[in-house]
Amino acid sequence: MRPTVGILANPASGKDIRRLVASASVFDNREKLSIVRRAILGAVAAGIDDFVYMPDGHGIVASAFADIGEDVRFAALDSPATHSALDTTRVAERMREHGVACVLTLGGDGTNRAFALGWRDAPLVAVSTGTNNVFPKMVEGTIAGAAAGLVASGQVALHEASRQVKVVHVQIDGEKDDLALIDAVLLDEAFVGARAIWNPARLRTIVLARAEPSAVGISAIGGLLHPVPDTADVGLLVEAGGAGDAVIAPIAPGLYSSVPVREVRELALGEVVEFVGPGMLALDGERERRLRPGMVARLAVRRDGPRAVDVPLVMRLAACRGLFRVAQSEATDGD
Amino acid sequence: MDISNGVLLDLHRRMVRIRTFEEEAGKLMEAGKIPGALHLYVGEEAVAAGVMVHLRDSDQITSTHRGHGHLVAKGGDLRKMYAELYGRATGYCKGKGGSMHISDLDLGMLGANGIVGAGPPIAIGAAFSNKYRGTDNVTVCFFGDGASNEGTFHEAANMAALYKLPVVFACENNGFGEFTRQERHQAVHDIADRAAGYGMPGIVVDGMDALAVYEAAGEAIARARAGSGPTLLEFKTYRFFDHVGIRGMGVIYREDAEVLQWRERDPVGLVETRLAEQGILSPEAAAAVHEAALADVRDAIAFAEASPFPEPGALMEDIYTVSRGVA
Amino acid sequence: MTTIEAPATREIPYVSAIAEAFGQLMREDPNVFIAGEDVALYGSVFGVTRGLLKEFGPQRVVDTPISESGIMGLGLGAAATGLRPVIDIMFMDFMAVCMDEVVNQIAKIKYMFGGTARIPLTIHTMAGAGTSMAAQHSQSLEAWFCHIPGLKVVMPSGPYEAKGLLVAAVRDDNPVMVVNTKTILGMKAHVPEQIYEIPLGKANVVRPGSNFTILATGRMVSESVKAAEMLVADGLDVEVIDPRTLQPFDTETVVQSVRKTHRALVAHEAVRFGGIGAEFAAQIQEEAFDYLDAPVGRVGAPFTPVPFSPVLEKEYMPNAEKIAAEVRRLLGKQA
Repeated sequence: MRPTVGILANPASGKDIRRLVASASVFDNREKLSIVRRAILGAVAAGIDDFVYMPDGHGIVASAFADIGEDVRFAALDSPATHSALDTTRVAERMREHGVACVLTLGGDGTNRAFALGWRDAPLVAVSTGTNNVFPKMVEGTIAGAAAGLVASGQVALHEASRQVKVVHVQIDGEKDDLALIDAVLLDEAFVGARAIWNPARLRTIVLARAEPSAVGISAIGGLLHPVPDTADVGLLVEAGGAGDAVIAPIAPGLYSSVPVREVRELALGEVVEFVGPGMLALDGERERRLRPGMVARLAVRRDGPRAVDVPLVMRLAACRGLFRVAQSEATDGD
Repeated sequence: MDISNGVLLDLHRRMVRIRTFEEEAGKLMEAGKIPGALHLYVGEEAVAAGVMVHLRDSDQITSTHRGHGHLVAKGGDLRKMYAELYGRATGYCKGKGGSMHISDLDLGMLGANGIVGAGPPIAIGAAFSNKYRGTDNVTVCFFGDGASNEGTFHEAANMAALYKLPVVFACENNGFGEFTRQERHQAVHDIADRAAGYGMPGIVVDGMDALAVYEAAGEAIARARAGSGPTLLEFKTYRFFDHVGIRGMGVIYREDAEVLQWRERDPVGLVETRLAEQGILSPEAAAAVHEAALADVRDAIAFAEASPFPEPGALMEDIYTVSRGVA
Repeated sequence: MTTIEAPATREIPYVSAIAEAFGQLMREDPNVFIAGEDVALYGSVFGVTRGLLKEFGPQRVVDTPISESGIMGLGLGAAATGLRPVIDIMFMDFMAVCMDEVVNQIAKIKYMFGGTARIPLTIHTMAGAGTSMAAQHSQSLEAWFCHIPGLKVVMPSGPYEAKGLLVAAVRDDNPVMVVNTKTILGMKAHVPEQIYEIPLGKANVVRPGSNFTILATGRMVSESVKAAEMLVADGLDVEVIDPRTLQPFDTETVVQSVRKTHRALVAHEAVRFGGIGAEFAAQIQEEAFDYLDAPVGRVGAPFTPVPFSPVLEKEYMPNAEKIAAEVRRLLGKQA
C-alpha cells in the first residue's frame, strides 16, 4: 500500500471568545487553507502522493487540493457532519482503519484531543492554529507537511523522531471514557457556555500531563510553579484556591491572572485523582461536561497518547541522509 | 460565568415566549387569518434571548425581516404585535407596517426591516447618537448570513470600527439566505472571519446554546458600553421553519435529516435541560412557563381579532411629522 | 435681484450662505451635526462646510469614508434616536449609491412604524451640469425623490434661498433633501446675516408679470428672469415663479398665476422626460384647464446622459435663450 498522509483542519479553531476576553489571534479559514496547501506541497516534495482528509463542511482542505496536480490523489473520508468535535473523533477512527501513516492536524489542543479520542496513539504532526496550545507547535505548514511526508513514507522512521506523549485519562462511572492531552480541570461553573476558561476564580483542581512554564493556558499555572516537561514520567496536581500563595500566569493569550494555589504536587503515572461534583469538567482548556453533585471523575496521567512527531528532528535526519539532495546528472535528466 | 437564577429563568421565559408567539402566528398565517408573509424565528430563540437579557430599554437594536423574536425578547407588547400582524389599528404600527416593520422605539427596537442588510447602517447611526449624546447605551445590530453579503454591512462595519462606536454586530447565521445555502452564497463560512478585515474582534458562538450566547453577548456588550468599540459575534444557528411560514421539512433546498439533526439541539430544549440539571427549573415549572406564554399569546390573538381595522382615512396619515423640533 | 423679500444690503455668494447657515444651525442646536465625505478637514469639495471643523470639532463635523449607504444609514439611525443630522452627499449622482437608505428607509420609516418615528434629517447635495464633470457628476435627479412619499425636496435658486431653505430643512422634523446647483455657488445676492427660514411648501413670485407664467427650479429661475427680460421686446410681461420647495409643491400660488396669465411654461435643468416639470404641467392643467390659452410648455435637458465635452455640454444645458425660444414657439412666434 502506498503511504498515505491524513489531513485534518479544524474549521472552528482560533475563533472562540478568547479573541474578545483576551488577546488571542484569529485564524481565519483562508489562512488555514493556505497552511494546508503549503503542507500538501511539503508532503508532495517528500514523496507523498496519497492523502485522505476530513471534509470540514467549510471546504478548507478540499480547496487546498484544488489544482494541486494530477499525480496527487486525495479522498475525503465520510463522516457525519455534526459540526462538532465529534466529526474529528470519527474521522480519527476512520484514518486509523484506513492505515494512514501520519496525520497532519491544524487546530489547538482541543482539536488534537478530539482526534486522540478516536485514535489515541496516532502519529501526529500538529500545527497550531488554536488559542492556548501546548500540544501543537507553531511550525511553518510547508515544513510540517514535509515532515509528515518523510515519516509517512518511512524515510524517517516514526520511532526515530517522535515521542509518545502523556495524556490525562478521565473515567466517569457509567459514561464514556474521556481524555485530555494537557490539562483537566474541575471548575466552579454550572454551564459549558462559551467553553473557554478565563476566570481564575472558578478554578478548583487541575491535573496536568505537562506543566510548561513557556505555555499559555492552564498548563502555565503549574508550569510556573513546578515545571514538568513531557519527557518527565510524572504528572502534576494543582489545587487552586485558598488565601495563601498565588501564581501570576497567562491563562489566556495576553491575559495574566493571579491564581491562588493551595497545593502543588507531582503525580506518579497511573496515580488516580478524583474530581467530585458538582462542578464543570474542563479538558484542554474547554468546559466540556458537567459533574452532577456526588458524581466522581477519576483522572490519571499515563504515557499512552499520540506519537508527536518532532518536526525539526525529522528535518535534521532528512538533511543528514541527503533526502532532498539531487545529484547533478539527475537534475539534468529532470530538465 | 456569572448568571443568577433569576436571569436564567428570564432567559428561558423569553425563549419560550418567542417560540410560542411564532408557532401560533405561523398557524394563523397558514390558516389565512394573518395576511402577508411571516418569516418566523423558530430555532433561533437562543440568540435573541441571550443577547436581550443584557440590554436596557434605552439600548437599541436593529432587526431583520425575521424580527418578531427580537421584539418579543426585548419586552415587546404581545397584544400590539399580534394586532399589527392582523393589520389592526391597535397594532404597533397602526396596521401600516405589518410583520416586516414591527417596531417599538420606546424600547429601542428600531424596526424589523424588509430590506436585507438595511440594519447595519441604521445601527451605527444609533450607536453614533449614543456616543454623541454622552450616554453609555449600546446598539445591537441583528443580521443574517445573507445580509453579510450586502455592501451596507461592510460600510457599517468599517465605520463602526473607525469611529469606535458602541455597537455589537450580532450575525444570526442560520445557514440560508432565503433558500440559498450558505456555501452557495459566500466563499467564507465563518462570517466572524470578516471582522479582522475591519479591525474589530470577531468570534464564533454556538447559537443554539443560550448560555453560550449569553456569555459571549455579555462580553461584547460590556466592551461596547465601556467605549472599547464594536464586536462581530457570529451565532451559528438554524431556521427550523421555511423562509416563510411554518413548513420546515420536505423542501427542495435542504435534507430533512439536516433539520432533524439541528432539532436535536433545539435551543429551548437545550436550555431546559441545562436548567433542570442545575435544579433551577423543574419539568413542572417549565411546563408552567409554556402555559403562561400560550395564555399571553392567546390573549394577544384575542385582542388582535377583536380590534378594529384602521379607518380608510388613516391611509394618508403618518407620512410626515407636523411638529417641529426647533422654534 | 431674484428676491422680493428685503432690500439688498449685504451680498454674499451662494456657497457662503450655506456655510453661514450651517454654522448658525449648529450654534442654535447642539443636536445638529454634519457628516459626509470630506466635509470636515477639507471643508467640502464645494467649500460649503469651510470653517465648521475648527468651530465645532470632529464630533459634530464628521469626515466619513466613501460609503454613501453607511453615511445615509448613520443619519437615519442618529435622527431616529434624537439627533438632527445633516448628511452631505457630495454629488447628487451619488444618491444612486444609497437609494435604499433614502427611499426604503428614511422616507418610509415614519409611516411603516405607524407614525411613531420622527426623522429630522437633512440630506444636502449638489446637482447640475456645466462643469465638464460628465454623466456621473452632473445630474439633476430631484424628480426621483419628489416621487417618494415621506420625503420633502427643496431646490434653492440663489444665495438667499440657499440659506433660508437650508435652515427650514434642518429645523423641520422630516427628512428634507436640499438640492443645490453647483454652477450657481458663486452667485452673489443679498443674504440677511441673522438666521432666518424660508417656509417649506411656499412658492415665491420672483418677477411679477401679467400675461405669461414661467415656473422654474434651481438655476433655471435666474435663467428664466433673463428670458423674461428678453421677452419684453415680444410684448410679454412674464411672471417668474420659483416653487422653492418641490415636494410639497405649492400648487395654489402657481395656479393663481396661470389663471391670471393664461399661459405657462415649466423649466428645469433635469432631463425633460419624466422630470418634475411634467408633474407641474399636469397640475396646472388639472387645476386651471379652463384658463389656459395654450398648452403648458416644458423646457428641460434632452434625453441623454450629460456629456463631457464643453461643446456638447453647452448643447445639453437649458438656458435663458432656450426658455425664451420655447415661449415664442408656444405662442406661435417663430424666432
